[in-house]
Amino acid sequence: MEEHIIPADSGARLARLEAADQANEYLYQVLDIGQYMLQSGGEVSRVEDSIRRLCLAFGAERADVFTITSSIVVTIYSPAFGALTQTRRVSGQQYDLNRLEKLNQLSRRICAEHLSLEETRRALKEICQAPQYGFAVQIFTYALISASFSLFFGGSALDAVASGLIGVALKCLDQQIRRTQANGFLSALICSCLGGLMASLAVRVGLGESVDMISIGNIMLLIPGIPLTNSLRDMFSGNTISGMMRFLEAIIMALVIAFGFALVAAMM
Amino acid sequence: MENAIQLITAFLGSLGFAMLFHVRREKLLLASLGGLLSWGVYLLMGLALSDDVVRYFAASVVVAIYAETMARVVKCPATVFLVTAAVPLIPGGSLYRTMSAFMDGNFTACSHYGLTTMLLAAAIAVGMLFPMSVFQLFRRARTIAACQESKKM
Repeated sequence: MEEHIIPADSGARLARLEAADQANEYLYQVLDIGQYMLQSGGEVSRVEDSIRRLCLAFGAERADVFTITSSIVVTIYSPAFGALTQTRRVSGQQYDLNRLEKLNQLSRRICAEHLSLEETRRALKEICQAPQYGFAVQIFTYALISASFSLFFGGSALDAVASGLIGVALKCLDQQIRRTQANGFLSALICSCLGGLMASLAVRVGLGESVDMISIGNIMLLIPGIPLTNSLRDMFSGNTISGMMRFLEAIIMALVIAFGFALVAAMM
Repeated sequence: MENAIQLITAFLGSLGFAMLFHVRREKLLLASLGGLLSWGVYLLMGLALSDDVVRYFAASVVVAIYAETMARVVKCPATVFLVTAAVPLIPGGSLYRTMSAFMDGNFTACSHYGLTTMLLAAAIAVGMLFPMSVFQLFRRARTIAACQESKKM
């Protein structure tokens, strides 16, 4: 009698283990999507919601997701495979709203069409390899932002030109510093000090009239606008912890940048 | 004249940020138009009101409505437009003046500008909160209706 039960039981256990294996692999991919979303500038509430939907679409009966800006924790449960948990440490952010949008579309597609693991992997790879704007365009972008805001805050045309040139220099500097993987605040301080220095020098040689107006263009360029807006959105949608984290990070960054510019302006 | 320059540069500044954040094609134009809109509302409010905090509040309400609407029109996350359109509102100027006054040792001006900066940031945040919460309510209501529908089936 017992001999009959054991093979039947082990067969069920095997099926359960297999289901758990599959679920684990799926969950790993879901965390990939969540991680990329966070890194490309998605709000915590969006990431949590997407992960939850993806897990429910897979067949989980229950999915508990906890996300803060630097970490994701997911536990899913289903009678078919039991409770599974995976966590992911997320570090480094590079805002890419195009990628965020594509990831959003992909997660909707997975929910609606139940893509296989292989199809999802291929789609993810495609998203990660999608072309970004080239270096030349990025340099133009920095010049455009700096010059625009220099004019916006009341600078003269000459100020705008100086601000635009300094913006390009800062972009090149930023690339070099990023390569050394220095502390983010340190690199912001270096960038803003040099920005302030170049603004003062530009005025001395006659390119531009007001150090303040030139600097403001560059400050708008460096100041963390996305984290600030996102952190407020997070706080208001109930994710107070990550909202506070990002908010503080943004405020400190803004202070460091303004400090760097003002320090040099005061010394010159 | 000054207003025209500000409107044009608000448009260009938002365009710059949209490009910096890798926004693509027609969304690039929509995002920069959002920047124009946000500053336009700020200037328009200036005809009736002189209080900066209220003007920033009104502008960010409009920006949030614009972002949520456009997100539905072109089917992409509202963040794309919210972040880029709010760029002209970011109180970078007053933040710089705060720190600049601090370095000069002028603490009266420093606390004045510092308080202004915090008030403006709060006005923007609260202004965005209202439309976003309303849109979220609609979304939730629709999701619940869809769930009940599928349960019936």
